[in-house]
Amino acid sequence: MKIIQTIFDSQRKHFEGSGKLRVLKPLFEATETFFLFPGITAGSGPFVRDSLDLKRFMSFVILALMPPFLFGIYNTGLQSCRVSGLPVDPISVITQGLWIVMPLVMVSYGVGFFWELLFASIRKHPISEGFLVTGLLFPMTLPPAIPLWQVAVGISFGVVIGKEVFGGTGRNIFNPALVGRAFLFFAYPTKMSGDAVWVAVIDPVRKAADAISGATPLACPVSSETGETVVMALEKAGYTLSRLFWGLYPGSIGGTSAFYCLIGAVILILVGVASYRIILGGILGLLGTGLVLNIVAGSSANAWLALPPVYHLIMGGFAFGIVYMATDPVSAPGMENVKWVYGFLIGALTVLIRVFNPAYPEGVMMAILFMNIFSPLLDYIEIGLRLKKRISNV
Amino acid sequence: MISVNVTKGYDLAISGKPSSKLKILKKPDRVAFLPERIPFIIPRLLVKVDDPVKIGSVLFEDKQNTDLKFLSPGSGRVSEINFGPRRVIREIVIELEKQEQYADFRKMTDLEIRTLEKESLIKILMQGGVWPLIRELPFRGIADPKIQPESIWVALGNQEPFQPFPEVYLKGREALFSFGLKILKRFGVPVNVSAPDHLRLQGYDIMITHRVRGHYPAHDPGVILYKTKKSAAENIGWYITGQDLLAIASLMKNGHYPIERIAVMAGSRAQNSGHYQTRVGVPVADMIPGLSSDESCFAGGLLTGYEVNSTSFMGLYETALTCIPKGDQRELFGFLRPGFGKPSFSRTFLSRFRKKPFDMDSGMHGEQRACVNCGSCTKICPVDILPQYTIKCLGADAIEEALAHGLLDCVECGLCSYVCPSKIEIRETLQKARYEYHKEQR
Ligand code: SF4
Ligand code: SF4
Repeated sequence: MKIIQTIFDSQRKHFEGSGKLRVLKPLFEATETFFLFPGITAGSGPFVRDSLDLKRFMSFVILALMPPFLFGIYNTGLQSCRVSGLPVDPISVITQGLWIVMPLVMVSYGVGFFWELLFASIRKHPISEGFLVTGLLFPMTLPPAIPLWQVAVGISFGVVIGKEVFGGTGRNIFNPALVGRAFLFFAYPTKMSGDAVWVAVIDPVRKAADAISGATPLACPVSSETGETVVMALEKAGYTLSRLFWGLYPGSIGGTSAFYCLIGAVILILVGVASYRIILGGILGLLGTGLVLNIVAGSSANAWLALPPVYHLIMGGFAFGIVYMATDPVSAPGMENVKWVYGFLIGALTVLIRVFNPAYPEGVMMAILFMNIFSPLLDYIEIGLRLKKRISNV
Repeated sequence: MISVNVTKGYDLAISGKPSSKLKILKKPDRVAFLPERIPFIIPRLLVKVDDPVKIGSVLFEDKQNTDLKFLSPGSGRVSEINFGPRRVIREIVIELEKQEQYADFRKMTDLEIRTLEKESLIKILMQGGVWPLIRELPFRGIADPKIQPESIWVALGNQEPFQPFPEVYLKGREALFSFGLKILKRFGVPVNVSAPDHLRLQGYDIMITHRVRGHYPAHDPGVILYKTKKSAAENIGWYITGQDLLAIASLMKNGHYPIERIAVMAGSRAQNSGHYQTRVGVPVADMIPGLSSDESCFAGGLLTGYEVNSTSFMGLYETALTCIPKGDQRELFGFLRPGFGKPSFSRTFLSRFRKKPFDMDSGMHGEQRACVNCGSCTKICPVDILPQYTIKCLGADAIEEALAHGLLDCVECGLCSYVCPSKIEIRETLQKARYEYHKEQR
């Protein structure tokens, strides 16, 4: 402790006043307070303060991201080993997984951090801890075969356009990680959808990431002429309900397993960092809308209408999106009751987009971004209703 | 009797609760009056250094209302008048003489009170220096005699860490207390007495009109008024603490400016914690001999008071002094610790499972950040303000909107700032806005 303090104290002069590295002051501060929690005393009342701060708050999101992240590494490795004909013992699978995933994470953090630092230096703000979450969330939504330069472009777009142009953390309307993800989706559609991207294969000779075919469940072809249902088509492709739930299939790095997202959700709800209202609201919206569509399905040519709603729940990125993206407190509504509405509509829109617009198989991403726009309105409505009940005091 | 149930708010699990034993503090050498600590007044000094004064001599008056006099809490010689930045009068120090003299005020009997007119009562209280003890809602400054309140609240009990216990300062003084209530009734509006629902005190039960249950700051008159009001007309109220009511009663009964107070000395670092029989304006050093550099000391409670050092004095309103460890220690990987010893409103620390109170320090436990919309401040606010949105309104100068949110219902309890993970000074922001608005109104 003493040693660390001495190191920081001896270096501080370079970052302050007219020191050579003064533009890097936010970096210095962020590093220092990471190691040494600052001992600032309260300057005005109240003179005692809660022990919770934003660093710890965000640490819990990172902690809750660990189950799907670690699983994602394993799964990515497994899929890659399988198609490359490599042995699938745990050691090689994990090595392979790390080899594919870690570069994406490092690029995301590295490039994103560069922007954070740049804006923090210009604005003379401290670096916000929120970025630690964004920098990890973003690569987890990506297909493993994505080229690194696209990761760099995506996170840049997410941080700069998704957050900094609005004035930085706390003022952003959209979830920055999703903005980056959506940008890549529209800018480089072939790399972000279709069948070709979901498994990364590393050619042992050239050591370059490349991709081969492997259909994801949401892009599973259904031949409606033969009266085949989606469930049958999925099963033909090997996607049973339990496989979808556990998540051992090709897909985005963090989003395939509903089970591990569930663990994360439990952590977040237990410590109260994420709103259970949004998560439960989302699940209700998804199941409810799925059921209604089942009822109206009849003999419609769209076989997806008849898909049992539970499939929607565990397929694709819904679980990941509703647990980690929709609950981002900055872009979600702040009032408690409309959080139910917000979650519900995200669930409902996810199903609608999946069923009626197969061009965007990842309906949850669009649904959350769309509802982000409406959070201020939802808040406005609830505040208005609350104020009506208030006895005015002016 | 009316029961009031306050559902929001929060009790800090902090160690250092004082014992209810009453001790006597030795007579100080000096006492002081702190004009700086009285909100909204503009003092005009009426004494200079070296002037002789008695207990109850006028020290200064308010320029906005020259009937409003502030009297000397000691008899002797004015030894110092200290100014702060921008020439605010920080303290008027009086060196006490051995045999203190009292200025004379009119004594009154029960019978005389019963026929007293409101106007003459106001005059008596103003001249007697006790008018400042009556304060007004919603702004919490000294009551304006020109504005008729809808109700008067006598507040017994205050759960802020730490304040004198009503059972200590009320004990055996029910006759004086009831005399005080008779005085207040002359204002011709309902006089309510609110008390914690568990408080059982012989002789007082029949005087209590409101029994309050709930966490801090449930016993604040502002909260009780918020919970019981039926219309906007009731917003204007006056309030006084139980101890200050005893002071008013004592002025009229004995004809002396009342300087006796029971103060509490508390906190985990207080060496002689407990209740003390003492007087207005005692030196802090008399209450805490030897404040060390790793301790901090606060007058008037940890959430709503202010920091003092060993050269300060107790103010007119403050009857509590709390000493806690100074929170300036850095901590290796502080935010990653399991935190069994770290108190929190949230569920993010293992301290959740701890029953024992915490030795809380004066640290921020984090750095200031932008609001992340976590909603904790809204969850905790006892009067249902939406602090997270209200501070945004104030940031955008939308004062009307902030008022609609209930800015004036804010009781300045400080829980919102306590709980904020982004360490935003919400209470301070709201308090400043209320202050500014009040100044514009006048
Ligand atoms: S806004 Fe803050 S200070 Fe005011 S009453 Fe609510 S919690 Fe207390
Ligand atoms: S507690 Fe702080 S961070 Fe949370 S909503 Fe209130 S102001 Fe924002």
